[in-house]
Formats: sequence, structure tokens, C-alpha cells
Amino acid sequence: MPELSVSMEVRKVSDEASVIDIKGDLTAACEDVLMDAYSQATGDRTRALILNFNELEYMNSGGIGLLVTLLVRANRQKQRLSAVGLNDHYQQIFELTRLNEAMDIHDSESEALAGAGITT
Amino acid sequence: MATIGRETVCTRAHVAVAGSLDAYSSDAKEHSLITEFEVPSEMGNERLVMDRVVNAVADSISGETLERLKTAVAEAAMNAIEHGNKGRSEIPISVQVLDSDGGIRVRITDRGGGPAQTETDTPDLEAKLAGLQDPRGWGLFLIKNMVDEMHISKDGEFHTIELVVRPEGTA
Repeated sequence: MPELSVSMEVRKVSDEASVIDIKGDLTAACEDVLMDAYSQATGDRTRALILNFNELEYMNSGGIGLLVTLLVRANRQKQRLSAVGLNDHYQQIFELTRLNEAMDIHDSESEALAGAGITT
Repeated sequence: MATIGRETVCTRAHVAVAGSLDAYSSDAKEHSLITEFEVPSEMGNERLVMDRVVNAVADSISGETLERLKTAVAEAAMNAIEHGNKGRSEIPISVQVLDSDGGIRVRITDRGGGPAQTETDTPDLEAKLAGLQDPRGWGLFLIKNMVDEMHISKDGEFHTIELVVRPEGTA
């Protein structure tokens, strides 16, 4: 099993919104880490989750599969997922896979929060 | 005599009808080998393949073309390691990087040259979100959309995927 090169930190912005900072490589091996982060980020009133990709170094098809899994869980909880910090290449991949239709893409956390109707 | 099956898929902008790998080569100037190497089929080694290819082509391509090649090479190497060689570290995948008429050609070979696996569905996000498809299965889709040409060949023992990228603005 390859060594994990990812860390994820959860920041609760409010009762309704959390940010997951993804640092390093997002691959299929990150499943436990991502789902743990999601569990930490989700409270009773959480309706917006922001994935911060500013420190993402590498994402492959396995990582995309994890984002799909995350979307399924978020959709079940009626939570809106947003992404910030994607570089041009990964934005292109989001467009190819239509992930940009399932989650909002923003330039900043403040835009993502505003887009979700969250005031802090 | 071994049967050589060919399928060729061109991606992004256009589709090329399969001939043989040799037919494509014969239409172009001779390709010059930039580097070739092998890596053990261990999970995670696709990053090593990607990094070595990047080092080999850094003087030739850059920017978005390089990023597309990196993604395609990593995905193809991952498929070769996991599916072709079943993650058996004692069986290496081999990689060739060639100069191809101003572009770059990368060939990745594994030992998965046997009967074709069942064709997988084109990944559809809506279907995946509805639970109708596995969330995974994006690898080949990404490869096809990252390169200008993709050729697959197998001969009963070996399976080779060939990826071609050309800098933006070239044919």
C-alpha cells in the first residue's frame, strides 16, 4: 500500500458551514482520511461544506471517485459542496467529469460561503 | 501465430480509424527515443513514472500540455500496474518516451495482453450520484480526454498503451 501523502484539516466556520483543507495528494488511498474529515465537518445543522484545494498537489481518478462518494453522502444530508483553490488543470478535469455541475466552484472561501447563503 | 488485436481511440478533438500501431508510425518521421525505463508494478509507482516522464520532456513541452500529459501518463501507468500486472511488484511495467514530430509519444507496456476485459461503461456523474454506477472508473475517460491520440495494442502477452500529445496550436 503506498504511503499516504495527504493531510486534511477541518475548520468549522459556523454551525452551518465547514471547510476541509486538503493538502497533498488526493487518491483512492485517502478514503478513510476524507471520510473522517467529512464526519468531523458535519454537524446537525451543517448545510455547506467547502473543499479547499489550495494546497492540493496531485489528484487522480481515484481521488475523483472519492469526491463522487463524498457528493453522494452530502446529497443524502442535503448539504451543498463547494470547491475553492482549484488550479486551471483541475478545473478542466472538474468540467470534463461534470463535477463542476454537482458542486460549486469558487475563487475564495468567502465567495463559497456567500454562494451557499452562509453569513459569518 | 498469435493474433494481434488493435484498437485505436483518438481523443479530445477527433477519432482515428484503427490500423495498426505500425501504420501510425509509418506515416510520421522516425520517432527518436528520449528515454525508456521500467518500474515495479507497485501501487503508487505511477507517480514515479509521471515524474520521470516529466523530467524527460521538460525541455519539449510545458504549461497545460504538460499537465495533460502528466495526468494521462499517471492514469495509464496506474492501469498498467493495477490491472495489467495485477500489482505484482516482480513484474515491471516498461515505459518509452519518444519525440514525435514536435510532440511527445509515451508508450506504457504491461503483461495484460490476454483476452479483453468487459468493456466498462463511460463514466456518467449523474448515474454515479444515483448509485447506478461505481463512483470510480474515471481513469480511461481521463486519458482519452487528456491526449491528442491514444492507441492500444495487445498480442496475447503484452498490452501497450501509446499516448501522443502535441503542443497547443500544432496539428
